Amino acid sequence: MSVDNDFQVVLEAKHVTRKFQVAKDVYLTANNDINLKFYKGKTLGLVGESGCGKSTFMKFLVSLDTPTKGEILYRGEDITKLKGEKLRLHRQNIQMVFQDPNSSFSPKMKIKEIICEPLLNFKRIKRSEVDQTAKNYLRLVELPEDLINRYPHSLSGGQKQRVAIARALSLEPEVIIFDEATSALDVSVQKNIVDLIKKLQKENNITIGFICHDIALIADIADYVAVMYLGNIVETLPGDKLSTDAKHPYTKALIDSIFDIGMDFSQKIQSIDSEIPSPLDIPAGCPFCDRCDKVMDICKKERPTEKTISQGHDIACHLF
Amino acid sequence: MALLEINNITISYGKREIVKDFSLTLDEGQICSLVGESGSGKTTVIRSVFGLLPKGGKITKGDVIFEGESILGFSKDKWRNLHGTDISMIFQDSGAMMNPTKKVGKAFVEYIRTHENLSKKDAWDKGIEMLERMRLPAADNIMKSYPFQLSGGMRQRVGIAMGMTYQPKLLLADEPTSALDVTTQAQIVRQMMELREDYGTSIIIVTHNLGVAAYMADYLVVMKNGVVEDRGDRHYILHHSQNEYTNKLLDAVPSLGGEEHEC
Repeated sequence: MSVDNDFQVVLEAKHVTRKFQVAKDVYLTANNDINLKFYKGKTLGLVGESGCGKSTFMKFLVSLDTPTKGEILYRGEDITKLKGEKLRLHRQNIQMVFQDPNSSFSPKMKIKEIICEPLLNFKRIKRSEVDQTAKNYLRLVELPEDLINRYPHSLSGGQKQRVAIARALSLEPEVIIFDEATSALDVSVQKNIVDLIKKLQKENNITIGFICHDIALIADIADYVAVMYLGNIVETLPGDKLSTDAKHPYTKALIDSIFDIGMDFSQKIQSIDSEIPSPLDIPAGCPFCDRCDKVMDICKKERPTEKTISQGHDIACHLF
Repeated sequence: MALLEINNITISYGKREIVKDFSLTLDEGQICSLVGESGSGKTTVIRSVFGLLPKGGKITKGDVIFEGESILGFSKDKWRNLHGTDISMIFQDSGAMMNPTKKVGKAFVEYIRTHENLSKKDAWDKGIEMLERMRLPAADNIMKSYPFQLSGGMRQRVGIAMGMTYQPKLLLADEPTSALDVTTQAQIVRQMMELREDYGTSIIIVTHNLGVAAYMADYLVVMKNGVVEDRGDRHYILHHSQNEYTNKLLDAVPSLGGEEHEC
């Protein structure tokens, strides 16, 4: 991705590949040669269908897993090589919000303990300051302060997700990764959470990685969108140009299959008819060649490389 | 005569009224969407029509008339004959509906033979025919698989294939596409619409996706906290509704920002 030089690269993935061994001599390629850059204070959206490898990739960024090949650079330093105390201290820089707040909280911890645990771990506050700090963070995510002594089970899904955001914010990280953070919520709650994320990002200049399968939501929240298909990035482009400038046949298919309340209801909904191939059995050439309606001979033989077709718009397709 | 008439029903769990004064009339070949947030009671309504309320749930007021008969007095045997033939239901996750220790084919054959006097071989062929009609590739393979071996989209199509075997007059769909990817969702929605074209099936679909609801339905009902907030045809709900809650929901739907179409 080539963008203005004023944009400061905070986090960069270079040629990241991850293979899982499923049987003797059988490998599943979850991520194949991924190159992405995260810019200071901007949101990078990662969109794709389930099983395409978006969560696998985000796990590398928060050091929950390491790639088979390639490197992840945080301010120039390869974080995949970090170990021990260095790794522990590094975790303060990149935090994460998970999809299901029910399973990412300990049911036996009170809200104040959940929010302040990272701060206590890194000895940023004293035990006596827990109540006050938790209240401050609850106010920040627009929740009533008297929730500090409640347990997670007594909060609604939207409230829990706000607490998860408060916990991620507490260490003042430079990067926050949201893994389908709004997918389990109702549309109206989702909108509130998205608005909150946008507001907090502006106030604190946070860099965000946002994983989502809803391409309409991602166009709304992300400055840059990367579209992933079977472990490959097929297209990256600015979020506001997604609906008008998307060129890759797969991105277009994704956009065509959205049910929009502003759509033309007299038209039949478009969609790809075939099933997504198994990631164990990815076609040799372009990963999308089996389902693409513009397929050419070269697509079946050669894997397309990423080309820049306009500023900030990269595409991996033989058509361009 | 309308196919289904829901007259002012109130559904309670114990003393708590979950759904209040709900009415709906559905004609043959009509598609109706129930939309609303989680906990608004939309699933409770279609479960009551299917006679499948959880223990403790009861219709305490009003009546549900299916083909001129009140369903409230139906015996267990009567229900058993209706389920899967005249009224079918598709669940959010058809994988969870199927017995995990039985292969798809075995369950399908058992279901067909419950309703029709067929040999196992004929029932098997009928199952394969239904799966192929849902455009599932390698139907024979699917019949020999366990539910967990199939993808979410395939399982959902197996569920719809089962539900459609006897061309029910009424299909109840409870969030049939919520767990699926957008491309698969579009396929399933298209196939459900074809059911109406081919068999004249009436459908009640429960969904929180307003886009899907508006695309499929002739008539939409917006629910909130067990009460009907707003109702009307697609054009009214999307463009002319004055209801505050409806507009709030419409406002919250993320949009790709394409041009507005008039329908």
